[in-house]
Amino acid sequence: MEDAQLVQDFLGGNHQAFNVLIKRWQDKIHHFAYRYFASSDDAAEITQKTFIKAYQKLNTLEDTSKFGSWLYRIANNLCLDELKRAGRKKSTSLEALKTAPQTEMASPADGKLIRNEALVLLHKALLQLPNDQRMVVIMKEYEGLTFREIAEILDESENTIKSRMYNGLRALKKTFDSWNINKEVFSYD
Amino acid sequence: MTKDDARNLFMDYLYGELDAELTRNLELFISKHEDLKQEFEELSGTRSLLQHLPVQSPVEQLVIMEPEKESAKTSGNWWSTLTSLLLPQSSFGRTGFAMATFVFLFFMMGAFTNMNFSVGDGGVNLTFGEVAPVQTGYTAAQVEMIINQVQQENAQLINEYVLAAQEQQEVQFQQTLSTFAQYFDDQRESDLELFNYSLTSLEETTYNRFQQTDQVLGEIIQTVSTN
Repeated sequence: MEDAQLVQDFLGGNHQAFNVLIKRWQDKIHHFAYRYFASSDDAAEITQKTFIKAYQKLNTLEDTSKFGSWLYRIANNLCLDELKRAGRKKSTSLEALKTAPQTEMASPADGKLIRNEALVLLHKALLQLPNDQRMVVIMKEYEGLTFREIAEILDESENTIKSRMYNGLRALKKTFDSWNINKEVFSYD
Repeated sequence: MTKDDARNLFMDYLYGELDAELTRNLELFISKHEDLKQEFEELSGTRSLLQHLPVQSPVEQLVIMEPEKESAKTSGNWWSTLTSLLLPQSSFGRTGFAMATFVFLFFMMGAFTNMNFSVGDGGVNLTFGEVAPVQTGYTAAQVEMIINQVQQENAQLINEYVLAAQEQQEVQFQQTLSTFAQYFDDQRESDLELFNYSLTSLEETTYNRFQQTDQVLGEIIQTVSTN
């Protein structure tokens, strides 16, 4: 059943339809928030708040076929609110990450360790991006949204979104190079 | 197509959102420019690294509980229907009903437990069960003890009164003596002053008479000598 039909059912009084929507979208919203904050607790809190707000405001959704985009917009706004609320704490942790970590290409015996460390650094590199670029990279790279959908969610032009994506990838490339993160690191299994 | 145009299409091309014709044109253009080719490979490589980022799934499934329907609440429960019919709906009515119920239960309990309620000199008495007989009047020993106590108190009171009267009389007598002595001294001083004044007046009078006499005698002597 389509999201739009479930939304209509919920608005018609079928509360179980909303639980189906939760089941369908909870993982995606949680993954989105987790990649944004790199924290399971923050991701769980943002996910919970997103669905509570959606439950309360679903009757204001004009185009029921865009439930997914609408849900991402709620999650995005909650992420920004969380950043504002705990801005000092978050920015401090991000500042601490700006020190380039030392990654040595050691023997193949250390491959798994290096790979695990590289995965952590990968997330740290993502966290170092400015908020607007990070949001676009996550939505595009991990959530698989089109540039048009992202533009609708963030209420920006498509060109602005593409520009942020381009700059985000360029910035990540520089960070990966400075931290010696490359595809060989992830070839250890 | 310029290099800037090509870069503007990079993101669409990288994520497969470019239509077929533009894709062919872009690929042809990139193949002719090594710097663009390298830049696109870097972007593509960065993207492939990002794909390794791990993710954590939520620990528990969220569920929205359906709120209880109002109709089910009223029609499905016969007890709720009964109480809603019997009990007053307003808060004032409920309070009055509760107070009446309390008073009724209080008297019912009193009836079953032989409750006694009385007001005496010592205050309000509330007792349950058989009431102990109340003793009226005093025994001979108590009367004797009370008389002795009253006599002792009276004797002590009279003794204190006599002592106080004696002290007061002594104070008044001393005050009277003191006043009389003061009066006697004042009177004596007044008499002495009067006597002194009289002597002084007599002395002045005598002196004046002597002067008058001397003057008359002088006039006589002068008259005699003149003649």
